Amino acid sequence: MLKNIQEWTLLLTVFGVVTLIGNWIGYDIFSFDAILGMIVLIVISLLGFITQKLVPINIPSVAYIAIYGVLISMPWTPGSEVIVAWTSEIQLLALTTPILAYAGIAIGRSWTDFMKLGWRTIVVASFVLLGTVLGSALIAEVVLRMQGII
Amino acid sequence: MEQAEVRDVWKDWRLHVTVLLIVIGAELVGSHEFAVGPGVVILLPMLYAIIIGIMLYFTPVISEKQSEKSEPLIVLGVALLLAKIGVIIGPDLPEIIAAGPALLLQELGNVGTVLIALPIAMLLGLRRETVGMTHSVAREPNVGLIMDKFGFSSPEGRGVMAMYIFGTVFGAIFMGLLAGLLATITPIHPLSFAMASGIGSASMMAAASGSLISLFPEMEGQIAAYAGASNLLSLSTGLYVSIFIALPLTEKLYKWFSKKKHKDEVT
Repeated sequence: MLKNIQEWTLLLTVFGVVTLIGNWIGYDIFSFDAILGMIVLIVISLLGFITQKLVPINIPSVAYIAIYGVLISMPWTPGSEVIVAWTSEIQLLALTTPILAYAGIAIGRSWTDFMKLGWRTIVVASFVLLGTVLGSALIAEVVLRMQGII
Repeated sequence: MEQAEVRDVWKDWRLHVTVLLIVIGAELVGSHEFAVGPGVVILLPMLYAIIIGIMLYFTPVISEKQSEKSEPLIVLGVALLLAKIGVIIGPDLPEIIAAGPALLLQELGNVGTVLIALPIAMLLGLRRETVGMTHSVAREPNVGLIMDKFGFSSPEGRGVMAMYIFGTVFGAIFMGLLAGLLATITPIHPLSFAMASGIGSASMMAAASGSLISLFPEMEGQIAAYAGASNLLSLSTGLYVSIFIALPLTEKLYKWFSKKKHKDEVT
């Protein structure tokens, strides 16, 4: 467990450094607050991984991480303004760029398998995504209108 | 996360420096948008990053081992992304609670996938693969469900894996383009699309909500909050919607269509 926490911390730090540099180049944000914001995100992630290991129920760690993030930043939590100020220095898109860079490198390995699957997969996949987006958006539209939110 | 995979990955500085260079390059190019008909296509740095990453795999820069070592970093990156989404949702929590019923009900919209995609897959001549391909958007929990029910080497298993790989490779690109296009050409409100973009994949949600935010910057907070909260709900409820509603519906529709098809062939 301790060895795991050490590895997670190191990897999250590597990822955090790459993100902070991307955040600087792409979004012109380079501040001490951004570094503090990244540390907050790393600590939240670590707590999520640890909780997943400790709780015997099989729930993915990302579920805990997102909930911790919400709990620490909701208006009812004392000091949440500071957390929000620090973490808002990290752009969402600055995090997704390195994720997809690593994903591209990982996907290269199964590229030939994918190419063998043929064009039908691409057609069906397009309609799968279209179906879920349109289905969800239509229901959301009706309910949000009934509630008077939009 | 597999413990063995994580060991010593951080020491592979060549991999991380390569990724850093990809990120710097992608961010320097920056985001670009251009009009396609009535819609807008938005190219984000993350799209260049995944394309450069795939291309680099086929050069001596990236080894097979490094490609394997990249996988735990995706998991950790997604963890940071979800922590960030968490702190985006937090301040807007009172608003999300107000939107609660819409968030929960739109989860059922995922069955739209079955209704639209299944007939098309059947028309294309796909058989049992159809069930694996069209019962859901095929993210990790759904892959697990199909493997559990039909086995890895079944046609259903092949179908769900094909969709999973497609979604992983092209899902973000596709969702980014789709959300931007639909929000500009349909009368449906951007916030409805924000909710619809949370389908249980952080990268697809980020791409879709990123497109929406670029188009409607004045709604940034709400779009991110709705998309993130919906993604969170999809992650936790999606599997149960699949088990109790979408998969039985897929089976029923599949039987109905294959009977109809069979009759047409006989007569």
